[in-house]
Amino acid sequence: MNEPLLEVENLTIQFRVKTKLLQGGQSTDKWKRVLNSISISINEGETFGIVGETGSGKTTLARALVGIHKPKNCTIKINGKKIDSRKRDDLLLLRRKIGIVFQDPVGSLNPRLTVSDIILEGLPTDKKLSNEEREGKVKEVAKYVELPESKLESYPPELSGGEKQRVSLARTIIGGKKILILDEPTSSLDVSIQAQILNLLIRLKKELSVGYIFITHDLNVIKYMCDRVAVLYYGEILEQNTAFELFEHPKHPYSEDLIGANFSLSGTNLSTTGHESGEPSKEGCVYKNSCPKRFVACDEDPPILNLGKGQVKCWLYDERYKSVSTKKNTI
Amino acid sequence: MMSIPLRDKLSATLLEVNNLQVNFETVDRKIEVLKDISIRIERGEVVGVVGESGSGKSTLAQAIIGVLDVPPAKINEGSIQFEGKDIFPKSDKNNNFRGKGINMIFQEPLTSLNPVYSVHDQMEEAINIGNPALKKKDKEEIIRKTLSEVMIRDVEGILNVYPHQLSGGMRQRVSIAMVLIQKPNLLILDEPTTGLDLIVQRKIIGLILNLKQTISSSILLITHDLAVAANMCDRIYVMYAGRVVESGRMSDILNNPQHPYTTMLKNSVPEGYMDEGPLKVSAGAPPDLRDLPPGCAFHTRCPFVMDRCKKDIPILKQVKGEREVACWLYE
Ligand SMILES: Nc1ncnc2c1ncn2[C@@H]1O[C@H](COP(=O)(O)OP(=O)(O)O)[C@@H](O)[C@H]1O
Ligand SMILES: Nc1ncnc2c1ncn2[C@@H]1O[C@H](COP(=O)(O)OP(=O)(O)O)[C@@H](O)[C@H]1O
Ligand code: SF4
Ligand code: SF4
Ligand SMILES: [Mg+2]
Ligand SMILES: [Mg+2]
Repeated sequence: MNEPLLEVENLTIQFRVKTKLLQGGQSTDKWKRVLNSISISINEGETFGIVGETGSGKTTLARALVGIHKPKNCTIKINGKKIDSRKRDDLLLLRRKIGIVFQDPVGSLNPRLTVSDIILEGLPTDKKLSNEEREGKVKEVAKYVELPESKLESYPPELSGGEKQRVSLARTIIGGKKILILDEPTSSLDVSIQAQILNLLIRLKKELSVGYIFITHDLNVIKYMCDRVAVLYYGEILEQNTAFELFEHPKHPYSEDLIGANFSLSGTNLSTTGHESGEPSKEGCVYKNSCPKRFVACDEDPPILNLGKGQVKCWLYDERYKSVSTKKNTI
Repeated sequence: MMSIPLRDKLSATLLEVNNLQVNFETVDRKIEVLKDISIRIERGEVVGVVGESGSGKSTLAQAIIGVLDVPPAKINEGSIQFEGKDIFPKSDKNNNFRGKGINMIFQEPLTSLNPVYSVHDQMEEAINIGNPALKKKDKEEIIRKTLSEVMIRDVEGILNVYPHQLSGGMRQRVSIAMVLIQKPNLLILDEPTTGLDLIVQRKIIGLILNLKQTISSSILLITHDLAVAANMCDRIYVMYAGRVVESGRMSDILNNPQHPYTTMLKNSVPEGYMDEGPLKVSAGAPPDLRDLPPGCAFHTRCPFVMDRCKKDIPILKQVKGEREVACWLYE
């Protein structure tokens, strides 16, 4: 059997945040856990989706996967080979294999470089190529991402939002990266431009046999783009399944709420208007303050349970509480 | 059918905008932002204005409520009537329709909330505009009742909080509570849920539709999101590059879009899984208003473009029933 392209096990990230005490005025350090024990794996040619609301930890996860954050006690494997992102050689390998495209094309492209020079940033520095070879490569990837050759000598401020994302993509694929992390790549674009970029991404994946980790808050986009999807909430994956299973039969109460709230052209049920949602809980189940199905067990942290092809982190699916879950679901 | 409250023996039309033309004029250039815009809102209707960014939606809303920055903006031509009275050009200098007759909720609620007033004081101010003579005790009661009507859990807890301390969703709840107090006949919403998380978005939209029932007002919804419009509007106007290109009943337009741009907008929203094939959109981006192509502004992207489209601007014409389309295909 083929090794997965990328495997991540037990990724936990916490940030040190300064908090000011009201009395005394002294500041103390506190740890804020942003990702909790994330495990995912993706195969060649696969698009793995991560969906979550603002602040759920999506960008932090993306940054950890390209070695910007270097978590301890976490296993990352590329094609079965273990990577320690705190070792220099391993980090180089990670960066050579995994590329990233951010949401904000303005912040991620140097306004003082030409498009052509920006794309060349994606070539590994140890690659010795003549100027002609480099130029040829730039033209080749520009064609891949459908960027007109006439734009190669432009500067980023002269480009439209869609063109900027094409440049970001070209910079990623020129170095032959195998895994592309796309962090809200179309969220700042108009829908008709978003549609063009989504079509382009699907075509590129087939032609370059790469794998994508597609991160977004947009349910329509994630459903359309992904083979498998993980639902992230407050730094935890609450459910993971094939896109079809997740959208047709969501299991976790949060997935149900999220998918039920999605706006679709064919109509959304707007009749139930609820209270403001609760804050994520720091104890027990993270979703318990908003969960309509909460019951006595939920004050303890639920285990990750396997369910068919997927996984769900909710007490309702634990053997011991099956009766509760069937009762609750039939109300 | 919409219902016309008995107390209004006036005509069914609440707002009428006729042939509005707005330019942004600076020393060295003139941009025609709105061109020949005519829209109408009946009592009790929810009417949408849908289009991608830069199409002129916010400019239209600001012209209606009278908050355009003049200069650089300039209303060149056209008229606006509200409840049968001319609000542009103004017939009566003291005609203060804001606050009483028309209210607006912005995408960023901080725009409509006063940053130095606590939630309690904002609400009290809203009461004072219409009902300054109320007893203190009654005001306090109305404040608390209204805040709980917008499903705020901890009403006492937020009374002394300032707008910037609230989450985006809570700010919109407070904005809606203020509208509930002022009971405008027309509520203009400019991207009221853009940028909010999905579950919050859906709850806010539910609240807005409830509010409409409670105070029986009409709504003008401005949005880039066709799916949100599909779930809220009775009728819509589709805008492209400063013109209305199609208008009609929401359901008719979704089932059978007639303008090629409306079709593309609808096809841009992914509705299914990836095995449904590429999204049907053509290349190109919305044009720069400073440099519009001659003839139909959509001709550079239109799959049906004819010679005539490159020379003559198509005029909005009634095609069938309430449907209007600006396209030479329907000549
Ligand atoms: N460097 C940092 N220091 C402290 N907190 C951070 C840092 N980066 C992100 N966070 C916090 O981590 C959480 C997740 O952020 P992020 O990964 O950007 O979420 P998302 O991309 O899903 O919106 C947020 O609460 C954010 O404020
Ligand atoms: N204050 C301004 N000065 C000059 N141009 C402006 C100003 N406000 C808006 N515009 C121009 O008007 C056009 C329409 O803007 P807007 O009404 O905000 O569109 P939308 O709300 O549909 O995104 C844009 O092309 C923008 O550049
Ligand atoms: S564990 Fe309990 S609170 Fe958490 S999602 Fe499941 S039912 Fe809801
Ligand atoms: S007028 Fe011509 S170019 Fe414009 S939308 Fe119609 S067919 Fe297309
Ligand atoms: Mg992010
Ligand atoms: Mg706008």
